[in-house]
Amino acid sequence: MTVRRIEVRERVMARNDELAAQVRERLARHHVTAINLMSSPGSGKTTLLERTLSVLGEALEIAVVAGDCQTQNDADRLAEHTGRLVQAVVTGGACHLDALQVNEALDNLDLDRTRLLIIENVGNLVCPASWDLGEQVRVVLFAVTEGEDKPLKYPKMFEKADWVVLTKTDLLPYVPFDEERALRYCRQVNPKLQFIQVSAMNGHGMAEWFNFVRQTVGPLVSA
Amino acid sequence: MHELSLAIEIGRLVEEKLGESVARCVTVGVEVGTQSGVEPSALEFCLEAVFSHPPWTGAKPAITRPDGDIFQVSYFEIEDDDGPQD
Repeated sequence: MTVRRIEVRERVMARNDELAAQVRERLARHHVTAINLMSSPGSGKTTLLERTLSVLGEALEIAVVAGDCQTQNDADRLAEHTGRLVQAVVTGGACHLDALQVNEALDNLDLDRTRLLIIENVGNLVCPASWDLGEQVRVVLFAVTEGEDKPLKYPKMFEKADWVVLTKTDLLPYVPFDEERALRYCRQVNPKLQFIQVSAMNGHGMAEWFNFVRQTVGPLVSA
Repeated sequence: MHELSLAIEIGRLVEEKLGESVARCVTVGVEVGTQSGVEPSALEFCLEAVFSHPPWTGAKPAITRPDGDIFQVSYFEIEDDDGPQD
């Protein structure tokens, strides 16, 4: 018996990254921009999306892929705000969406009649950071009810993000949240981060969020 | 948290490289960077579960912890049945 060593040096995430590249190419063919929306559970992804769909859903032809460990409650909630299809992905316990799930979800969407795809990831500040889904923009929600040091505790999520949306700002008078410190920690982890502060409840900052969404989609490209 | 799906992917990678070979895989070397977000002891546990089935039966994970966010299969070792010598 001889033991032989075979060098591999292959990244474990390589296959997901390949699939993410396929998603990216597929979306580009249909002139669709994709946002990967991530955060801890309960920081307001679905509520922000409800408002976004109500105001911009038709104009920007927004499609949503909503991931959850169990139930399609979020997809059902979102569907009330749009006539457009909201595709639920139940991960069956998995803590993140992967590119294969997104690619399969795209089969059910009319990409020719979609300009913006918003992927609502599973609520989790750890795992989703590692999985490229083929998006152009990564947005992390950070609720003022969370600790200011979340960026330091979960640096990878904030390192990989492009934008941080500080949510639930209507609660600022009632919670001991030091906004300045939170933003400083964000910048410490990733100096390139950009910020929007919103309350989907009282509407504060929502105009800025809608502008961001409009700019992300960009002008209409005729097919 | 997602170590089981990572372990399955590592198994798939090794299986792909093994191809049609009938050699027995004895060791799989995995580099789990300290910033990779992967928990090495959970991964080891999951790899042992994956490696309890063919075509990996009996393979042992060999996890190393380099700096940075690298997460890769660096090598695997196979035991060849030398067969009759020339």
